[in-house]
Amino acid sequence: MDSAGAAKAGRAGQTQADKLRNYRRDYSMFDADLSGNVLNFRLLARLLKWLVPYRVQFVQSAVLVLITSTLAVLLPIIISIVVIDHIVRGDVPETAMDLGMIDLTEWFMATTGLPPLGAACVLYALVQLLWAITGHYHRMTLVTAVINGLRDLRRDLFAHLETRPSQFYDRVAVGRVMTRVTNDVEALYELLRGMGSLIGELVPFFVALVVMLAISPPMTGILLLALPLMAVATHYFRAATRVLFRQTRQTVSAMNQNLQENLSGLQVVQISQRESYNHDRYMKINRRNLELETKSMKLSTLYTAFTDSMASVAMGAILWYGGGEVIQGHMRLGEMILFTHFINMLFHPVVILGEQLNILFRAMASGERIFQALDWDEKIHEPARPVTLPPRLEGEVEFRHLDFRYDFDVPVLRDVSFTIEPGEKLAIVGPTGSGKSTLIKLLGRFYDFDDNQIYLDGIDLNHIHTRDLRRRIGVVLQDFHIFSGTIFDNIALGNENVDRVRAVEAARTVNAHGFISALPDGYDTVLSERGQNLSQGQRQLLAFARVLAADPEILILDEATASIDTETELLIQDALRKLTAGRTSILIAHRLQTIQEADRVLVLQDGAVAEIGTHDELLAREGLYYTLHSLQFQETT
Amino acid sequence: MFRSLARLKPYAGRYRGRITFGIALFLVARLFEGSIPYFLKVGIDSITSGEGQILLPVAAIVVAVSLRFVTVSWARIAVRRSAYLLACDLRRDLYEHLQVMGPRFFGQYSIGDMMTRAIADISLIQRLISHGTTLLVIMVFATVVGFGYMLYLSPMLTLLILPPLPFVFVYTLRASRQMGLASRQVQDRLSDLGAHVQENLSGIRTIQAMVQEDIEIKRFERTNQGYADAFYRHARITSLMSAVMPSMAALCSVTILGVGGIMVLDGDISIGDFTAFFLYVNMVVQPFRVAGMVVNMFQRAAVASDRLFEVFGRPPEIPDAPQEGIPAHIRGDLEIRGLSFTYDKATTPALADISLAIARGESISVMGRVGSGKSTLLKQLVRIHDPEPGTVLIDGHDVRDYPLAQLRAQVALVPQDPFLFGEPLRDNLTYDDPTRRLDRIWMAAESADLKETIESMPEQMETVVGERGITLSGGQKQRATLARGLIRHSPVLILDDCFSSVDTETEEHILAELKRLRSGQTTIIVSHRVSTARHSDRIVVLDEGRILEVGTHKELLEAGGFYAELERIQREGADEADFQAAAATAAGAGG
Repeated sequence: MDSAGAAKAGRAGQTQADKLRNYRRDYSMFDADLSGNVLNFRLLARLLKWLVPYRVQFVQSAVLVLITSTLAVLLPIIISIVVIDHIVRGDVPETAMDLGMIDLTEWFMATTGLPPLGAACVLYALVQLLWAITGHYHRMTLVTAVINGLRDLRRDLFAHLETRPSQFYDRVAVGRVMTRVTNDVEALYELLRGMGSLIGELVPFFVALVVMLAISPPMTGILLLALPLMAVATHYFRAATRVLFRQTRQTVSAMNQNLQENLSGLQVVQISQRESYNHDRYMKINRRNLELETKSMKLSTLYTAFTDSMASVAMGAILWYGGGEVIQGHMRLGEMILFTHFINMLFHPVVILGEQLNILFRAMASGERIFQALDWDEKIHEPARPVTLPPRLEGEVEFRHLDFRYDFDVPVLRDVSFTIEPGEKLAIVGPTGSGKSTLIKLLGRFYDFDDNQIYLDGIDLNHIHTRDLRRRIGVVLQDFHIFSGTIFDNIALGNENVDRVRAVEAARTVNAHGFISALPDGYDTVLSERGQNLSQGQRQLLAFARVLAADPEILILDEATASIDTETELLIQDALRKLTAGRTSILIAHRLQTIQEADRVLVLQDGAVAEIGTHDELLAREGLYYTLHSLQFQETT
Repeated sequence: MFRSLARLKPYAGRYRGRITFGIALFLVARLFEGSIPYFLKVGIDSITSGEGQILLPVAAIVVAVSLRFVTVSWARIAVRRSAYLLACDLRRDLYEHLQVMGPRFFGQYSIGDMMTRAIADISLIQRLISHGTTLLVIMVFATVVGFGYMLYLSPMLTLLILPPLPFVFVYTLRASRQMGLASRQVQDRLSDLGAHVQENLSGIRTIQAMVQEDIEIKRFERTNQGYADAFYRHARITSLMSAVMPSMAALCSVTILGVGGIMVLDGDISIGDFTAFFLYVNMVVQPFRVAGMVVNMFQRAAVASDRLFEVFGRPPEIPDAPQEGIPAHIRGDLEIRGLSFTYDKATTPALADISLAIARGESISVMGRVGSGKSTLLKQLVRIHDPEPGTVLIDGHDVRDYPLAQLRAQVALVPQDPFLFGEPLRDNLTYDDPTRRLDRIWMAAESADLKETIESMPEQMETVVGERGITLSGGQKQRATLARGLIRHSPVLILDDCFSSVDTETEEHILAELKRLRSGQTTIIVSHRVSTARHSDRIVVLDEGRILEVGTHKELLEAGGFYAELERIQREGADEADFQAAAATAAGAGG
C-alpha cells in the first residue's frame, strides 16, 4: 500500500516537473535552420555510438588502407628506381629508397629465370593487382560498417519519432520532422563516404611523403610549398562559392516556387490576364539565377584550372631543382623522376579536402538536427504499476471535475463533469474551439492530465497503461489514415484475432462489403498511399469496419464535415447505427441526424458543459441548444 | 538520340560563335598541356647526355602552364556560359508555353511532371553542353594531341600500347551503365523511404490510437534495409570500377615498362622519351575512363530534350484569333445555342444541346447535382474550354471572335476552387491589375465581408497568405476570391459555387452587396443552396448536361420538380445541413 502510494506521489511529482519542462519547450527549434558551422566533436563522438558495433570492419578497413597506400607508392618506385636507375643506368647504391623492390626483382629473376625487365614487369603487374584487390576490400569494409551504422541510427530515430506524443505533432510540421529521417541522415551518409575517400587519399599522401623525405628533404620542401598556396586558394574559393551557392539555391527555389504556383493557379492567371506580368517576374529571377550561376562557374573554372596548373608547375620545379642535383651527382635520375610520379598523390588530397569541408559542415548541421530530435524526450507518462484490465469492460466513463489546459494561461476544459452509462450513445456539440476534440483526446490519453479526473469503470485513467487503454477504445478520426497494404490489412491492423471471416463480417455489417468486393482484387486490393483510390465515403466506411473488427468497448467518433453524396451518406448513417449499438459511444456530431439518434446530447461552450440531456429535453429548455437548432431552420420560415 | 538533340539546334544556334570559339580554344589549350611532358623529356635527355641544359625546358614548362591556364579557363567559361544562357532561354520558353495551356493539357500532364521537366530536364541539357560537350571535346583533343606527341617520340611503342584501350572503353561503357542503374535505384529507395516516413507521420495519431507503433517500426525496418542494400550495391559497383579501370590502364604501363625498357637499353629511345610516355598514356587513357559518363550524359539529355519538345509541340489550347468589328465593350447579353461538350476520353457528353438566353442585367442561379455540368457550362463563357463556333454568343458575337484578353477582362469568372497565391493579400485581391488603388481593394474586401478579417491580421493587406504565410480557412479563401472577382466590376460576373464554405448569415450579406453593386449587370451564380438561388431572377437546373428546369423560384416550386424537391430536403435539414456553421454563428452572436 505504502509503496504504491509513494509510486503514485513520485509519478505526480515527475509529471509536474515534466509539465514545467513542456511549457518551456521551444518547438520553433524544429523549424529553425541550425548553424552547424563549427567542428563539433561532441557530435562526432555521439555518432560513434552507432558505429562502434561495427568496429571490426573499421579495423579491417584501416589495415587494408595502409597496405593499399604502400602498394600505390611501390608502383612508381618500380618504374623509376628499379627500371630506370637499377636496370637501365645500373646506378644504385645499397642505400636506395627502393623499399625492397630491387631485391624482389632479383629474387624473381633467380627463381623464374626471367630477364631483369621481364621480372620488373611481372612485379609491377602483381603489385597493381594486389593494389586493386586490397583497395576494393578497404572501401567495401568501410562502406559496410557505415551503411549498417547509419541504418541503425535511422531506425532508432524513426522509432523515437513514432512514439512521440500528440502534443509534439500538434506543434511541429510533419515535413520538418520527416526531413530529419531522410535528408539529415542522408547528409551523414555523404559525410562518412567523403571521409572514406579522404582517408583513401591522405594515407598514400603520408606514405609518399616518407619516401620523398628519405630521398631529398629540400626537394620535398619545395614541393610542399605549393600546399599552403593551394590551401589558401581552396579556402577562398570555398568561402566565395558558399555564399554564391546559397544565393543560387535561393533563386532556384524562388524560380521553382514561382513556376509551381503559376501552374497551380493557371486558371486564375488566365482569367486575370496576368500572363505577361507573371512572365516578367519569372524572367527577373531567371536572369538573376543566370548571373549567379555564371559568377560561381567562373570562380570554379579558374580554381580548377589553377589546381591543375600547380601539378605542372611542380613538374617544372622538380626538373629545375632535381635536375641540378642529378647533374651535381647528389641525386640519381630515377629518384628525380619518382618525384614527378608523386605529384598527384601530394596535391590531390588538398582538393578533396576542400570538397569535403563543405559536406562536413552540412553534415554537422544535420547531425545536430538528428540528435536534437533524438533528445526530444516529450512523452505521455505511464503508471508505475498499471492496472490489469478485465477481459471485458462494462464501458462506464466518468469525467469528474476535469480541468485541462495546454498552456499555463488558457484553460481548454473547465470543471467538466458527466457520466456515460455502459452502452450509452452521447453526442457532443458545440462551436469550434469549445474543447470537443480535446475532450475525446484526453479519453484516449493523448495528453497528460492530473489524476482523479477521468474514470473508466471506476478506474482512474492515469492508472491504466496507454497501450491497454487504447486497445479498449476505438477511435475514428476525421482524417482516416489508410495504412499501406491491402484492404484486409487495413481492417485487421495486425490483430491476430481478426481473421478473414471476421473482417468480411465487419465490412458487411458497416456496408463496406459492397464496394470492397467490387474492387478488382476485393479484400486483397492494395491501397495506394493515403488511400487515394477510395472515395471519402468509402474511406469512412473502411474506418468503421476497422473499428468494428477490433470490437472495442468504447467508441469515439469525430464525424467528418465533408459533404458526401446522399447515397453514401445513408450507408454511413446506417453503419453508424450498427456500430454504436450496445456500445458506449461518444460522437462529436456535425450532422443533425447523428445528434437526433443519440441517447443524450452534451453541449460544450468555452470548455465548460453548457447543457446535457436528451434532444427533446434540451429543446424544451430553450437554451443554447435550442438556439443552435432553431438557427438551422431559419430558412424555412 | 541525335535526332532528339538536333531539336535543340535553334537554341544552340544563338550561341554558335561563343561555342565554336570555346572549342577552338580547347585545342590550343591541349597543345600547351601536351607540350609539358615533352619539355620534361628534353630536360631529362639534356641531363643524361651530360649537357646539363635544364633552364630552357623549365622556362618552357612555366610558359606552357601559364598559357594553358589562360586558354583553358577562357574556353571553359565561353562554353559553360553558353549552356547557362541556353538553359535560361529554355526556361523562358517553357514558362511562356505552359501559360497558354489549358485544362486539356493539364488533364494529361500533372504539374509535378511539368516541374520535373522545367527543373531536371533543362538542367540535364545544360549539363550536357557545359560539361558533356567539354568532356567530349577534351576527349577528342586529348587523344589526338596525346597520340600525336607519342607518335613523334616513338611510333613503334605507340602502336604497342593501343590494344588495351578498346577494352578500357568497353568496360567503362558497361560499368557506367551499371552505375547509372544502381544510382537510380538508390534514388528510388530514398524516395520510398521519404514516402514511408511522410505517410507514417501524417497518420501518427491513428497509428498511436490503434497501438500500431511496433508494427509500423518493423515495417520501416524493411524500407530502411531496402535503402541500405541499394546503397551497398551502388558502392560496390563504384569501388570495383575504381579498382578495375586503373588496372586495365596499367596494361599500357607494363608494356611501356617492358618494351620501352628494352628500347631504352637498345638506345632506340631516351630515358626522357620513356618517362614522357607514362605521362602521355595517362593523357590518352583518361578520356576512355570518362567515355561512359559522356555517353550516359548524351543519352539522358536526348531523353530530356524529347520530353521538353513534347511540350513545345503542343499548340496553344485556346487560339486567340480576334475578328474585325468586335465592339471594345461587352454589354452583357449572353446566348447559348445548342451547346454540347464532351471531355477527352469521356463517353457521355458533359453538356448536351444547351440553349439559353440571358439578358443584360439578369441574375441567374445555376443548380444541379455534382457532375451535372454547371462548371463546364460556365467555363465555356470565358473559353477555358473552347465551345464549338457559333454556340456561345456575347452581345450577338461569337465568343471566339473576341480578343481573348478582352473577353476574360469583361467576363469575370470566380472559379470553384478558391486559389490564393503565396503573396500579400493585397496582390491576391487585385490579381488582374496590381496597380489598383488601396481604397478600391478595401471596398471590394468589404463587399465580400472580409474587411474585419483582414483588419484583425497582423499586417492587414500586406499579410502573406498560403504555404509560406498565414493559412486562411476555407470560407475566408472563398471570400477572398470573391473579392477578387467583385473588384473588377465587369459587365458579366460568374460565381462558380463561391459560398459553399461561407455560413448563411455572411452569405446573406454578400448577396445583398451583389444586388447593390451589380444592378443592371449580368451575374451568374452556381450554388447548392436554395437560400442562395431564391434571390435570383431566374434559376436554371442542370442534370446530366441538360437543362432540366428554368424559371423563377416561385415557378419552379409550383412545377414540383427537382428544385422543389431540393427545397423540401433543405428545409427539413436532413441533408446538407451544416449544423457546425450554424453553431459557430450562434456562439459568435452569443458572445
